[in-house]
Amino acid sequence: MRILLVEDDPDLTRQLKLALADAGYAVDHAPDGEEAQFLGETEPYDAVVLDLGLPKVDGVSVLERWRRGNVTTPVLILTARAAWSDKVAGFDAGADDYLAKPFHTEELLARLRALLRRSAGHAAPSLSCGALRLDPRAARASVNGEPLRLTSLEYRLLHYMMMHQGRVIGRTELVEHLYDQDFDRDSNTIEVFIGRLRKKLGADRIETVRGLGYRLIALEGESA
Amino acid sequence: MIDLRRRSLVRRLVLIAGVWTLLVMLVAGVFLTAQFRGAAIRRFDQSLAVLTDDLYAGSSVDDGELRAPFLTDIRATRAYSGRYWVILDKQRDGAMRAVERSRSLFDSDLMLSSRQVDQLDAKPGKTQYFDLRGPQDKPLRAAAIQARLPGYPDPVVFLAAEDRSPIDADADRFAGVTAIALLILGVGLILAVVVQVRFGLQPLFRLRREVAAVRRGKTERVDGAYPDELEPLARELNALLAHNQEVVERQRTHVGNLAHALKTPLSVMLTEASQQPGQLAEVVERQAQTMREQVDHHLRRARAAARSQTSGERTPLEPILDELAVTLERIFQDKGVQIDWRCPEDLCFQGEKQDLMELAGNVMENAGKWCRGKIRVEAAPEGEARLLLTVDDDGPGLPPEERAQALKRGQRLDENAPGSGLGLSIVDELARAYGGSVQLGESPLGGLRVCLDLPRAEA
Repeated sequence: MRILLVEDDPDLTRQLKLALADAGYAVDHAPDGEEAQFLGETEPYDAVVLDLGLPKVDGVSVLERWRRGNVTTPVLILTARAAWSDKVAGFDAGADDYLAKPFHTEELLARLRALLRRSAGHAAPSLSCGALRLDPRAARASVNGEPLRLTSLEYRLLHYMMMHQGRVIGRTELVEHLYDQDFDRDSNTIEVFIGRLRKKLGADRIETVRGLGYRLIALEGESA
Repeated sequence: MIDLRRRSLVRRLVLIAGVWTLLVMLVAGVFLTAQFRGAAIRRFDQSLAVLTDDLYAGSSVDDGELRAPFLTDIRATRAYSGRYWVILDKQRDGAMRAVERSRSLFDSDLMLSSRQVDQLDAKPGKTQYFDLRGPQDKPLRAAAIQARLPGYPDPVVFLAAEDRSPIDADADRFAGVTAIALLILGVGLILAVVVQVRFGLQPLFRLRREVAAVRRGKTERVDGAYPDELEPLARELNALLAHNQEVVERQRTHVGNLAHALKTPLSVMLTEASQQPGQLAEVVERQAQTMREQVDHHLRRARAAARSQTSGERTPLEPILDELAVTLERIFQDKGVQIDWRCPEDLCFQGEKQDLMELAGNVMENAGKWCRGKIRVEAAPEGEARLLLTVDDDGPGLPPEERAQALKRGQRLDENAPGSGLGLSIVDELARAYGGSVQLGESPLGGLRVCLDLPRAEA
């Protein structure tokens, strides 16, 4: 397993390198954002441990550039800033996990193991509908390569609709697939979720068929 | 004395206008009445002068006896009619003797005071006018002329007088009417001033309302359009607000930078210590932990201090809940946590986005830690200006006695003993800073229900 460690503090770098090597990983080190970006784009790492406060280019920007450049390597963010707004920004940029400083090395190693285990999960073919793509392996969806931020319920709904794209799906059917049996919800639940999905995907992608339900369609001019 | 500096501007302006109007009206009234009275008396005097002239011209001396002319004035014949005449002989000793008199005088006489006699003496041949007391003690207006008649030894005074009460009554009536007219005018003017001042000061009242709104946190700056005189004040206020905010922001950034800069060295210390077990490592670990808690605590306090000064922000809930739900599901993805959240689109929190994120984020993270897989989040408006954020999970929940404990730990935060396994202490502290509260209860999903009561902003 090859890990890229992006950290500018020499002491912390030394400690982490040691701990990671002890745990059996091959470690590359980048002390600043520019080098990190370059290494991440050129080398096939299994995971990245990324500090956010970096010289030259900050960590969030590096991460955003990787994701835009289709680098899907799982990234664990290390940062001193632990406010929720920072966490949200980190995950928005495409992070897979988040660890606030100061931390114990054991915790970092445990998180890294979980990250690697997840990314090595069973492969499933990705689904697409026009410019809309859904990757069941990473539980991620994107439009024109731009990642969508979906909650699990929204993702579930979209997943189901993509598996049945082009077909009109009734509300009851959608509710049944959205919730487990122990959840009972009122009938406008689906409307709420369809509304949110439309906001995130674009309103035209989900058609309302009066009295019957909804249909996911590819937009005109898009190849399926 | 009223301290004018502390009275309302409206009252001050109206008071000045009122006093001034009253003064001007008074002077105008007195002046107009005097003019009227003067004119009436002049006309009256002229008619009396005609009579004295008639007497003077018509009198003749016959055998050393003075003969008055025959006058057709009927009013001078009836007793006490109010119109009188008399011809006086000024004797050598200075005493006045009536030689001829009108029938209307009946048995009484018209007497001149010695001062009036001197006055006549000073300007002989010239008509003089006096006020006299006549029969029945009536006020009279008199015209008199002193002259010498050929063949008569003594100077003769021809005097005509008439009751002046009609002109006095006229003048009084005029004064009354004038007073009423001026009063109406004055009241009208003062009312006009009141309206003008109220209307004219309208922008000032508006500015006051806006500043109050800024203080209450409804808006961030003074935004309305103001007249030229107030525009600079509004601009200065905005500049002051901006400056304040900037200073606070800078302080906050400094504290934040310091706090965050300490965290990497702390990490290094912790790691180093954990790699060399022993007594030193234990002490370092314990102290590093304390330092971390202190840093976090003071970071929050710096934010809280800044919050009491900056205000006026409103944060829509829906995007925040969405972002947090997405983020938390990623954080807990190994566990497979599912967050089902509901929120009206137009619901807004009265406060900063960062704080709302801390509040909702910590409560939802707590739910994520303890739940078995499901979290329900419901935001809804409450009453006039509150909102309720309810977070339910399907975890083990907390027995009632421990619920109280969980929030008490929050209260102890201020005594420099931060830290709570629940993360709810931070939430409690923040909610209190916003005048809100945290309630713990039982969730219908079986776990803990955390209910946040927070201020709502108008959408």
